[in-house]
Amino acid sequence: MATETQNPLKRRYPKKHNHYGFQDFFQFDPDKGTIVDWNNSQNILTTEDFIVGLVEGLQEEVGDASAATMYTIGCEWGQKDAFFFEKWFEQEFDRNMRQTNLMFLLETWWWPFTSQGWGRWEVDMGDRRQGFMFINIFDSAVARTLGDVGKPVCYLYAGLFAGFFTELVKKQLSCIEIQCYSMGETYCKFLLGGQDRIDAAAFWLNEGATARDIEKRLRTGEVLR
Amino acid sequence: MLSQLERLSREVDGRYASDAELTFAIDYVRSFNLRLQTYQKLQELEATLIQQTYAKMRSIDPTVFNTGGVDLSGKWKRDTLRTMRYVATAVLMDDADTFRERMLLWFQTLMRAFGAQRSCNLTYQVMQDVVKQYLTTPQADLVCPLLELSRRVLGTIA
Repeated sequence: MATETQNPLKRRYPKKHNHYGFQDFFQFDPDKGTIVDWNNSQNILTTEDFIVGLVEGLQEEVGDASAATMYTIGCEWGQKDAFFFEKWFEQEFDRNMRQTNLMFLLETWWWPFTSQGWGRWEVDMGDRRQGFMFINIFDSAVARTLGDVGKPVCYLYAGLFAGFFTELVKKQLSCIEIQCYSMGETYCKFLLGGQDRIDAAAFWLNEGATARDIEKRLRTGEVLR
Repeated sequence: MLSQLERLSREVDGRYASDAELTFAIDYVRSFNLRLQTYQKLQELEATLIQQTYAKMRSIDPTVFNTGGVDLSGKWKRDTLRTMRYVATAVLMDDADTFRERMLLWFQTLMRAFGAQRSCNLTYQVMQDVVKQYLTTPQADLVCPLLELSRRVLGTIA
């Protein structure tokens, strides 16, 4: 939600780029009870109980469809955020985001999420030409909260990536989490690509394949028959 | 210093700080003149230090500022100038934690995005030698650990 309030540091240095430290990025207004970030979005602080409540409440309401619901919420969020990002990026850098080094653009997109506690990330674009890429998330807020439940849980993130990248490249992309902290791994790994590849990965994952198996199969060009 | 003061104010909640807990503040007061001198020296010598670092790096590796036929000298100078000013502030405030949190962690992701770790590694290594030539030993002892921190954070290939 955009508001009129503006960070005093931003008023003074509107083009300051390294503004992701806790005290630079968030502006707390104790009188209004609001927390507004550098890009004038209103933030709320939530506890891990909130995340547990969201995930378990949804599970109780819609059963197995909760995963798809979370993914869809993430997609819409990602699509909206792509437009929001385009606006603040161009204001801050005086540059069209489509004429910018892609890795720089992506790192800049993710920084507010890092400040907000969604975790650090790493993008592996090595297979971009083959039409897919991997994203690693360290310290996923959802997985860290739910702990070791033996299956992937970060559907919200998968949807967020699908939605954002679909808008960025103007081509329908999907995303699946192929390795999760909640499966006892040290970090979460997401595969982003066209629907056919995501379906194949979902099938292999269901058959017990590991993230490494899936990577190998995709790189050798294996697809579902 | 500011990070430490903040930490102290949380830790001594509802009681008085012990002498041991106040040592860092006393050390800071004692070191303040040296910090201020060093800060002012960095400000005065900023252009020289950067130019010397640039020249020395070129002599070590003539290709270091050239990627795929593009001359990155201007970009390197802007980036190095920015880091140096944060280093100077960290010297004055005795606050490596804030330098790391507000500047280095962000800059690290960008340097990785541009694949500039090799250049960063060389920059902050060479700059330590240059600083030792122009600053007194006690001054360089305040600056070099921060340059080494910059080298480790920005120059390490993940």
